[in-house]
Amino acid sequence: MPEINLELISRVEQFYFREARILDNRQFNQWLTLLTEDIRYTIPSRHVPQPDLQKKETEAFLSVEQELSQGLETPYRDEDFLILSIRAMRAFKSNSWTDSPPARTRRFVSNIEVLASEQPGCFEVFSNLMVSYSRHQQDNFFYTAQRKDLIKPEEESFKIAKREVILDWNVITAPSLSIFF
Amino acid sequence: MSIPMDFSQWVSDDGSHIHRRIFTDPALYELEKQHIFAKTWVYMGHESQIEKSGDFITSYIAETPVIVSRAGDQSIHVSINSCSHRGVPVCRADQGNTRRFVCPYHNWTFNNKGDLVSIPQERKVCNKPDKSQLGLKKVPRVESYKGLIFACMDEQVESLTDYLGDMTWYLDCLFDRFEGGVEILGSPHKWLINCNWKLPVENHLGDVGHGPYLHGSLLQGTPAVTELEQFGHNVVPKPGHGLSVRLMPDGTPAEQCMLGMDGLAGMDPEVNAYLQESHKKVSARLGEVRSRLKPLCYSVYPNLSFLWPNMTLRTSHPRGPGQTEFWSWFVIEKDAPAHIKEKLRMNYTMMFGPGGLLEGEDSEAWSEQYKGSNIDFTDDRTFYYGLGQGEAGPHPEMPGSVGSCFDEHYAREFYLQWRQRLEQGVNHHA
Repeated sequence: MPEINLELISRVEQFYFREARILDNRQFNQWLTLLTEDIRYTIPSRHVPQPDLQKKETEAFLSVEQELSQGLETPYRDEDFLILSIRAMRAFKSNSWTDSPPARTRRFVSNIEVLASEQPGCFEVFSNLMVSYSRHQQDNFFYTAQRKDLIKPEEESFKIAKREVILDWNVITAPSLSIFF
Repeated sequence: MSIPMDFSQWVSDDGSHIHRRIFTDPALYELEKQHIFAKTWVYMGHESQIEKSGDFITSYIAETPVIVSRAGDQSIHVSINSCSHRGVPVCRADQGNTRRFVCPYHNWTFNNKGDLVSIPQERKVCNKPDKSQLGLKKVPRVESYKGLIFACMDEQVESLTDYLGDMTWYLDCLFDRFEGGVEILGSPHKWLINCNWKLPVENHLGDVGHGPYLHGSLLQGTPAVTELEQFGHNVVPKPGHGLSVRLMPDGTPAEQCMLGMDGLAGMDPEVNAYLQESHKKVSARLGEVRSRLKPLCYSVYPNLSFLWPNMTLRTSHPRGPGQTEFWSWFVIEKDAPAHIKEKLRMNYTMMFGPGGLLEGEDSEAWSEQYKGSNIDFTDDRTFYYGLGQGEAGPHPEMPGSVGSCFDEHYAREFYLQWRQRLEQGVNHHA
């Protein structure tokens, strides 16, 4: 099990900051190189369940998990490398009307927490994400989310092998979740 | 602005010219709620979402929140989600199972038929309120068609099957296709679009003309587009409802008729085998013609829509003239194996729902249409809806009025229906 020390944490942070910069610079093909080819990228849907009274007085009563789509319930997104590549390549076409003209995005990544993973050599990383998304003249929106990643050390850096994005909405108040979180 | 009684300025007599302000005017919007949403059957949800007694989902009739619940005797009830005491919503979840809806303010408690069962303060006062008069306000008519639950605020409304008319022949293509029926998996995906509620409905009524262009980055030059131009029809089964289908010619191999659900997921050999297998049963259930029918998109007046290839059901809930809360669900054969359900849903999540590529393009076009409608100095420039005018007519194999795939008769009939409803409502009240 590799040691989680300040040097490692700093390298992981730098990796996430670089990823955010690449995405804000619309270098989507470069972003694909940060992913493993067997990546699973999911955004569970989120709803307000009826409180489970059997769990009252315990922390499970308020668990976030019960608000997220599970098993066969339909998530917002559930993608592999192929679909992510289709999304990335599509953005560069002249008739890709949701990306042309492109959105002005700014990603803020914080609360990076590096944990050991059951997968040998890999790390679980939690991070918080805020995205400012601005299109046309003044179609401005903010997204906030938690990301749960599995990252794999590769050469001098890392690759993302798994990403789960937990959004903080019930009714989504932005026009689309079609961006890379 | 005051509403003149002459509605022909909003929708021309032949439906080919539509005034921009029908998408933006607040006074017209109020009339829509009163004379359309309070008078017609509005989709509430699917029976698979509330199978057990005590199950409930929440929904809307226009902007009015409702609880759709299954009572102990299996009957389905639709009640307005607002306490009879001070108006606070008594249900705060999207879905769940409960015997009681309790108002958080003073604890007035209602059962899943909407009846008031207890007032905690009652014991401390002398006059006993008549609880039978203080239930949640009920939506008086609730009926289902093949699992689709509708409700209507107007007690006098025609039966749901009469309301749907020949639309049922087309609805059966999905809702009666499988022996065990279909089911919804999970809560609705809900998102806000800065557009008028009618535009998403119009889009699903049969607007296939935008496909290769708005969605050009994904669809341009694909066989789906060629097939649509060759075999596609826009159908108005009853004015107000509309749909677009491909009727494949006699003798077309089965794998080219499989409901068009194959998509990217259909490239998986297991999914493909499932689709082929399930298609074999279609002609026995629905007849030979419908085994060659590949539906594309449907809308049921006023605000329920479907997209067949991506297996999604959706509603367009108005939030004022310039905003829509769009709800969308993935629908699948109930008896399909779990791994097939999981694989096929990719055709939905990749393309539709809030994260979908095609959906994002549609949402963008709808909100841009709102911007273009909500401008000054253009009242003399109505929108042109005349494509294919006068071309539609009866078809030897399909019910309804059938036109070519670019015939905009679906929209003309929808807006004429809209005009007629408002005209009747306003004149009736005058």
